[in-house]
Order: sequence, then structure tokens, then C-alpha cells
Amino acid sequence: MPRKAKGKRPTFFNDPQIDTVMGIVMALAGEVSVLRERLDSVERLAAAKGLFTQHDIEAYRPDDAVMAERERWRAEYLERVLRVVHQELEETDKGETTESYQAAVRAVSS
Amino acid sequence: MNTQLQHDLLPTATHDELARQNFVHTLKVHLATKVSPGNKTIYEHRAAPRFAREHQRPPQDRHEVRSVMQDEPYYQMWSTLLRTSQEMMWDSVNVSVERQLPQLRERAATNGKTLGSLTLNPDLAIPAYHTAVDIHCQPGGYHTELGQDDVAAGATYDRAVYIYAMSRLGSLNDEMGQSVVLHLKEQHADFRPARILDMGCTVGHSTLPYVDAYPEAEVFAVDVGAPVLRYAHARAEALGKRVHFSQQNAERTNFEAGSFDLIVSHILLHETSSQAIRNIMKECHRLLRPGGMMLHQEVPQYEGMPPYEAFILDWDTYNNNEPFWGTVHSMDLQKLAEESGFAARGVIQTMIPSALERAQARTEKFQGGDFGGGGAWFVFGATK
Repeated sequence: MPRKAKGKRPTFFNDPQIDTVMGIVMALAGEVSVLRERLDSVERLAAAKGLFTQHDIEAYRPDDAVMAERERWRAEYLERVLRVVHQELEETDKGETTESYQAAVRAVSS
Repeated sequence: MNTQLQHDLLPTATHDELARQNFVHTLKVHLATKVSPGNKTIYEHRAAPRFAREHQRPPQDRHEVRSVMQDEPYYQMWSTLLRTSQEMMWDSVNVSVERQLPQLRERAATNGKTLGSLTLNPDLAIPAYHTAVDIHCQPGGYHTELGQDDVAAGATYDRAVYIYAMSRLGSLNDEMGQSVVLHLKEQHADFRPARILDMGCTVGHSTLPYVDAYPEAEVFAVDVGAPVLRYAHARAEALGKRVHFSQQNAERTNFEAGSFDLIVSHILLHETSSQAIRNIMKECHRLLRPGGMMLHQEVPQYEGMPPYEAFILDWDTYNNNEPFWGTVHSMDLQKLAEESGFAARGVIQTMIPSALERAQARTEKFQGGDFGGGGAWFVFGATK
């Protein structure tokens, strides 16, 4: 199946440093893959030792309470991961600017 | 994520596929409820004052709002996250559908075809407004065929639209059709259509509510995409609903003049073109019997919206492969209906409430990346 939707992908940043950040993001994605593989090893070892199998995981159906708990966890997780996005808004709300920070630097330096 | 009804045709997901889809769902909810509203704060505190300083007046339309917002880092970050969530959504479903494609084809082919029918036309030209870019970033669009008897686009759409709307279209993705039905039952209680046509039906998710609402009626549905129609037919059969699907362009169908009492569409108009929408309206006029009605469900028109609200709803035009979105939502629909033969007094333009009383994470907003969050829809139509 095609993976790329036909049509030029829009870009939003002019700053080339975003490319650098994306490099870091992709490195982290790689680390997630490493974690996943480690978990896979745990599952295989568990099956080999008779604890539970991959089939048990596939057959597991979380009940409503578990699904709600997972939803809450994912929501909190995204709050943490995207904290920096909210920070920008909070700064704006509080009127924190580069100028006000420089004023603080001046205030303690004079 | 609430559970989508696992009918016979809906692709299943492995543990990890479901986890990936769940992640996209939660990411989309987060963006719509926690990040997107901040764009307005940024606009009011930073972008609008900046525009006013440069022009000695506030921004007057969505284009001027966009011209200042696209330089705002917060808006840039939200946009890149939203675009990425859209791509992750399709990918999370694509991988799953591809894995089980042979089984899905088999289920679609062997499903008992005793109720409705399916008529395909391999010679039908796919219109340029579907081939120029892949609408809403679905790789391959509605029409791309991956071999014989392909249903991939339909299977992908049925699952992805559930995630796209953050489950707010209900367990059968039928909230849009249900909402129009509710409007008909409440506002036109005596209207008893005998023949109903759904234009641009995709997988028939919006078509089926009419089968239940008007059990005596014959229900027809057309679309240009063969893979979505094969899936739609098998899906309707699996759910025990009689619908006659055919591969036709709504701009010009082979139905007889005056042969329908009710013509509906659901989020079809914004996926056409300036020429096509004119053709579709004229075709609706041709197909309706005197006294018949057309109702086209959409997101609200921009007219009367403050420039910022129009701007944030207009995001899809530029960033989600919805090239006709902005144009259609700023068209003069009264004029369009009249030019298509409908009498001025018969034209309908109204907001209708959602048929789903409660939906998870509804924002009560009309904004990019928050489809179905408004809890209401716009309906454009006319009686003949």
C-alpha cells in the first residue's frame, strides 16, 4: 500500500535548526524501538519459562476500567511530552518576554 | 478510545497496531483540547497586535489572520504536530489493513449478497479533484486499486475515520447520517421518502441510518471509488442493511429524472470542485421529483464567523490536502441553489444538532484537526 499521500507536504518552520531537532526526535524514536525489542525478549523468555505466551497478550482484552486507566495514562504522558508547548502559552499569559528577563538580569547586576 | 463495532468487514488490529492507533487517538484529543485553543491566545496577545501595528487596523479575513499566524512558533508547532498526527493515523491503519488484505478481500467477496446490490463501472473516469492530491492525506485516496476485487481503501477509511473523529461519530461512524435523519424526523415529520440517494457514500457509513429511518424506502448510494464501494456493499450486507451501491460520479448519474424523493450527502461537497459542485446541484435538481428534497451535510460556512474562527477552521485547505475546503465554505450557496434551478424560497441553510447526545472529548468548537468536535453540523439543501 502507498505510504505517502500525493501532494507536497507543507513545512511550518523556516529555522534550519528544526532539522537538527528532528534528528534528535528520530534518534529517540530509535530508542523506543530498542525498548520494544527488549520487551519482546522479556515476552519470549516468559513464554520459554512457562509464565505467559505472546498469544496470551494478543488474546488479552482489557476491561472498561483498564481502558479508562490507559487513556488517563496516555493523556498524562502527552502532558509530559508536550509540556514545552504549554510552557510557551503560559509565558504569554504571564507576560514573560525576553525584555522582562533582560530586565531581571539588569536588576540583579546593577 | 471507545470501542468501534467489530462488524465482519472491519479490519482487526494486533496488540501493537491497536496501541499505535490508541496513541494517535490520544494525541489528537490532546491537540484539539489542550494545544489548539492556545492558538487563539497567541493570536490575541501577539499576532493580532503585530498585524495592527503594521497595518493600523485589525486583520479583516482569514487570509490576513493566516499571514501573521504562520510566523508564530506556537502555531507552527501545533500545525506540524497536527499534520504528523494525520500521517501517523493513516500509517497506523494502513499497516494493519495491508497485513490482512487477502482475508478482507475474501470476506468482502464471499459475504452473502442477498439484500442489496453492487454495480461497478471500470470505465468511469476518476475526477481530477480526486487524483490531483490524495484527499485528507489518505495515501492512494478513495480510488487507488491494489489488485483485483480490492477493498483496501474502504477498510482503511472505515477504521481511520473512527480515529480521525476521535470516536465521536459513534460505534458505526454513522453520526452524520443519524444527525440528518434526526433533523428530518423533527423538522419534516410527514416527509416519507420512497427513494433515497446518498451521493459520495464512501463506505456507506452515513447511508445506513436512512435504511433504518425509512424501512419502506429503496436506498441507493453512489461513489467514484471502486475499492470503497466493494467494502461499502459487503459492510452493509454484514450489518443486514439493503442498499444499492453503484460506481457513478454524482455530477452525472444514470438514474432517471425525477426518480428520487430525497438526496443526501455527507461531507461530500468540500471534496469536489467549483465546476463539480455546480454539476452536482444541477444533477440533484434533475433527479428530484417535484416536492423532493436535497440535504448536504458539511462543516459550517465561514460567512459571519470572526476572521480568527474562519482561519482556524480553514487549516485543512492548506495543510491536510483539502484543496476545495476553503472555497466551498465561502461560496454563496443560496445563489448556487438558485442557479441550479431551485426556487429561492426552497433553499435550506441551517445548523443541526448532533444525533449523538454524548461524545467523548467534544470541544464544541469548529477547528482544524477536531472533526466532529462541534456537536453540530451545517446543512445546505433545497426542496424542489
